[in-house]
Amino acid sequence: MLVADFEVARREFSVRVHMRVPPGERLALLGRSGAGKTTSVEAIAGLRRLTRGEIRLGERQLSSARAPAADLPPGRRGVGLLRQNPGLFPHLTVLQNIGYARGSDLARVCEVAERLGLGALLGARPRGLSGGEAQRVSLARALQAKVDLLCLDEPFNSLDLTLGRELLELLRLELASSGTSAILVTHRLEEAQAFAQRIAVLHRGEILQVGDPRELVLQPASREVAELVGYRGWLSSGAQTMALHPDRVHPVGAEGGGEISARVVGMVPRGARIELELEAEGRWRGRFRCTADRSATIGELWWFAAPGAPIFATAEDAAPGA
Amino acid sequence: MTNPPASLATRGASVRVSTGAALVGALIVWVALLGPLITLLAHLTPASVWNALSQPGALQPLVTSVAASLLALAVIVLLGTPLGYLMARGRLPFPRVWEAGVILPLLTPPLVIGLLLIFMVGPATPIGAALSHLNLTASDTFFALVVAETYESVPFYVLGAMSAFAAVDPALEEAGALLGDGRWRTWRRVTIPLAAPGLANALAVTWARAMGAFGAVLIIAYHPFGLPMQIWVTLQEQGLASALPYALVLVVVALPLPVAAYIWSARARRRL
Repeated sequence: MLVADFEVARREFSVRVHMRVPPGERLALLGRSGAGKTTSVEAIAGLRRLTRGEIRLGERQLSSARAPAADLPPGRRGVGLLRQNPGLFPHLTVLQNIGYARGSDLARVCEVAERLGLGALLGARPRGLSGGEAQRVSLARALQAKVDLLCLDEPFNSLDLTLGRELLELLRLELASSGTSAILVTHRLEEAQAFAQRIAVLHRGEILQVGDPRELVLQPASREVAELVGYRGWLSSGAQTMALHPDRVHPVGAEGGGEISARVVGMVPRGARIELELEAEGRWRGRFRCTADRSATIGELWWFAAPGAPIFATAEDAAPGA
Repeated sequence: MTNPPASLATRGASVRVSTGAALVGALIVWVALLGPLITLLAHLTPASVWNALSQPGALQPLVTSVAASLLALAVIVLLGTPLGYLMARGRLPFPRVWEAGVILPLLTPPLVIGLLLIFMVGPATPIGAALSHLNLTASDTFFALVVAETYESVPFYVLGAMSAFAAVDPALEEAGALLGDGRWRTWRRVTIPLAAPGLANALAVTWARAMGAFGAVLIIAYHPFGLPMQIWVTLQEQGLASALPYALVLVVVALPLPVAAYIWSARARRRL
């Protein structure tokens, strides 16, 4: 069990993290760039000193702000870190890269390489590898090092979307079969949902909400969380703001029966469906989007239902987000 | 292909002319740089070289020079490698001050270095007195020769090492640490192998400078004669023709290491 309760000072704001990751759990840390996600996993991996608090993994104390001299060094914590940059050693072959960690044995290296489809590349040098191959070697190297917790800092984001998804799924299965816990840093909700059993939302250094992948989307606890999980419509009615998710607003017809009336002001295709751009003009006012399975006429007035849409107090200073 | 428009054609011609001019310029520079070496070879006959080197004691300066340069190199590598690394990683406070300290011997004329060394480590100074307790004298001794060569050549190594280390991606050192290596092990397994080609080049230049050190040597280590002093003295006492064989020996001994290091590091870089 990882028990992290710490603070790391940064220039603009401190990153404060309280989290528990039970053995075998996969947690996603979701947030915009600059929210403090990387800082958090770097602290857990031992690359940053804490300004307050401590980090424990099982019986081991990894870091403590009180006695930083006793912090375990990065490679001795049982924590791995996989980054976007594969960081392969250019002077070593793929085989030597995968088996770099202390005490790695050849049989296991070959087995991991084989499982990740790297068998044919073992003698190659990193320079000749494609981006996807390089990241797979990096992944094999991290898995091979036998850690209790693997931190993943947007590891596949520089690869194309499909390849990234494939590798993430491969990684998920590897972790599940070995019972290793993991923290995935990402700014993509779908990625977090596909990978993790729980998602923690980080915003400006604070964890705003932790929930299971569906709960977070259905019941965002605050406006910031709602924005991060895909709410893009903000309708206001006096002191209240209703957050609308394009997938959670349904047209109910032209005759009424919903709570929102809005005019169609634009349309764009989105996947197999059509995304309507709408201007609400009843009790709720503002712009929002909604996916529909048929197109509409510009200027047409429709009624919409948004069951369970979260309602927040209207922010005084900020105008509703675009 | 269709004919290119006239303006393109003239531009092509002018590109050809300027490329040609650049090539001629490069050739002139090359010949000018190698000229002295070619001249040296042209003025020597195997007989004259043999005659000069078969004199009794003729090889002593060579032995002295190689031994002193090896020692100087050992000291420089031992002290300069960590310094170059720390400077490259910005781990030293007031980095500009350190850099200035390393560059200073490079900018100071060697003769002046020699003069100042007399005042710093000569027999009549506190440091000289301390050295005498160790039975060392930094004036007209083998030890003085090593000191002079070290001062004249150390900047070349430290600056070269610094740029070699700066070219090693810190992310790779971090990767090594994350895979369980301590700082020293990471240095040995990642940093040094990756910096090796650059370090080899730095070493080669430093060797050549140490072997050829003359200005500071002339002042504080006139004796024992190394090759440069031997050339100078022979020139003074017996004239140009007698000095040339020693010049050849110096070039022949000073060059192979740099050339080998250069070739090796070029090959090593291509593999990375």
